[in-house]
Amino acid sequence: MTQFSRRAVLQLIGAGAVALGGPTALSRAALAARPKELNILCWEGYNSAQVLDPFRKSRSATVRAESLTNDPTMINRLRAGETNTWDLINVNNPWARKVMLPEKLIKPLPRAEFEPFFETMLPSFKPPYRWALSDDGKELLGMAQRFGPYSFVVNTDKISRATAEDTGWDLFNDPKLAGRYGILESDDWNVFGIFVIAGIDPFKQHTAEEMAAFEQTAKRVFAGARMIGDIATMNQALISGEIDLHLTGGTYSISPARADGFVNLRGITPNKGPMGGKGGIAWIEITSMVNNPDLSPLAADFLKYVQAPDIAHTVAFAEGTFNPVTQMGNPACFNLFTKEQLDAIQWDSLEEEMARSVEYDIVPDYDRALDLMNAAKRSRG
Amino acid sequence: MATDMLEAPAPSETAPRPAPGSRALAFLSAGARCALPVYLLLAVGFAAPLVAVVAFSFATPRSFDVFATFTLENYATIFDPANTVWLSFAWSLGFAAFTVALLAVVAYPIAYGIVHLFGRWSGLVGILFVFPLFISENVRLFGWVLFFIRNGVLDGSLKALGTDGGPDVLFTPGMILFGMVYTYLPFMLFPTVLGLSLVPRDVVDAALDMGATRLQAWREVELPLAMPGLLIGMLLTFVLAAGAVAEAKVLGGQSVIVITHDIEIAFTYSQNWPLGSALAVLLMLIIGGLTLAALSRLDLDRILGRK
Repeated sequence: MTQFSRRAVLQLIGAGAVALGGPTALSRAALAARPKELNILCWEGYNSAQVLDPFRKSRSATVRAESLTNDPTMINRLRAGETNTWDLINVNNPWARKVMLPEKLIKPLPRAEFEPFFETMLPSFKPPYRWALSDDGKELLGMAQRFGPYSFVVNTDKISRATAEDTGWDLFNDPKLAGRYGILESDDWNVFGIFVIAGIDPFKQHTAEEMAAFEQTAKRVFAGARMIGDIATMNQALISGEIDLHLTGGTYSISPARADGFVNLRGITPNKGPMGGKGGIAWIEITSMVNNPDLSPLAADFLKYVQAPDIAHTVAFAEGTFNPVTQMGNPACFNLFTKEQLDAIQWDSLEEEMARSVEYDIVPDYDRALDLMNAAKRSRG
Repeated sequence: MATDMLEAPAPSETAPRPAPGSRALAFLSAGARCALPVYLLLAVGFAAPLVAVVAFSFATPRSFDVFATFTLENYATIFDPANTVWLSFAWSLGFAAFTVALLAVVAYPIAYGIVHLFGRWSGLVGILFVFPLFISENVRLFGWVLFFIRNGVLDGSLKALGTDGGPDVLFTPGMILFGMVYTYLPFMLFPTVLGLSLVPRDVVDAALDMGATRLQAWREVELPLAMPGLLIGMLLTFVLAAGAVAEAKVLGGQSVIVITHDIEIAFTYSQNWPLGSALAVLLMLIIGGLTLAALSRLDLDRILGRK
């Protein structure tokens, strides 16, 4: 039997302590200079091997990407102190200029270096592009890439596209459709949807009467839902015939099913609505550099890398969901899309749908509305 | 011998003076000193996150001012009579209680078969119940969705046979309960198998020889002796089921909101970590309290034969 002296045991414990604490100390040392390390907080797609592996290989870099499926969680991660961890953050359009820059969570990009990329983007993204800029228009805060209209989805075999576009959000006020629709588990977007179904513009301060109307609408819409679930659940239920339509949804959520051949399922942008007459809501992702005290030089490099036509095409059709990209304004990128891929992202109606949509914005009384909506969800049981 | 002892120098004069740290350690037993690294690991990996959650629950709502602010506002919000979050607590604890009751009824006969009836097939039957644990819970639950969904495996097959199709059970509270019973069956089954294995067959035979009916022998001999395993299984499944969320989301289609889902919403869409922490602390207290109450009533020491 092996005998251990007290000295040997203490030496072992000491070695263990060094082993536990060593990596932390080393990583702190490494943090001072991170030429080969990049951390990305993003929606799914940018974390895929198709997008990241060529970058990793060409730069011999260690790239870590974590994907989440809602903006508030990502913003909170930075607020909680993870600005020391991440180099890039990829969220929807209003957060950069309205929240992250004022809270010093991100830092501006070198404008002269990055703004020229907007020149080759689709026409509505030509510089100066509002959502990529600070409120005063002086600072460039991020790069635009994926975007899309996002209102609701129908099975056009059950409800025609024309009927859905003309009726708009009132479909969810139709008692005959109770039990025939689902609700995508995307609470921030559902707040928008419930406001619009109630005939109220979501993106403004609301009166007590409007909040009461929101509450009543939320209770009715959630009570009439067949189910609440994720994208896979919604698409499976549409394909099987369990439901005929769902909110909130659009190109982002339905494109995987369309790519699988279910082109009867379609994202709908209503012809009219309470948002200055517009009935649809659209999102545009803005990818910004985090205000990390030890920002990796690869952050700027990666933002340029995804602008290349072939990589932009890969981003559009990375795993998970398929989406249009702003770089489709460049023929070298657009020509990479096959007819099936263009069908999957509803390219035929994309321009008119974006024109009928307002852009995703911050709801000033979101917290109160979300509390009311959560209570409405609980009342389903 | 006595001379040697007298001539031997006093320990305090020759031994090096112990360092203050080692003097403090000397108060601990050898076992406690050996366990010190593990205690430290537990303090950092287990206690520290709990302390952080408790501290967050007293922070200003929708802020990250942990350890910097102190308010009872989060708890006041939860206990506000207008707040319906109590429904979520009720659903979670109700589902957990029903799951435990159903599992006790379902797992007992299977465990009895494994211990007494299946013979050399017992190992195989056990493996069949363990095997699903190697597959992600979400994947298994989505499998059940495909089975029960309209035009899915069940409905489609029955329609192909000329019937009206399968029952409309998906996205209901009953389906959530089914999912929980399905998911947590192994966690009840194997402690029950262990409990039944501890029952000496001779004791049951003796009871029967002395005139007990089969029901009496089961109720007064076998069940009390198997109780340690049953109790461990029930506590384990209750705690797991009270914290379950996937069943309500996937199989239930969020037809009800369970408390863990409310906690998740608070940490994500609501951007309100302090409220989520307060809900988590209350859930811990409720589950911990119920568990301790159950243990004190059932007196595990006596059941295990330590008294």
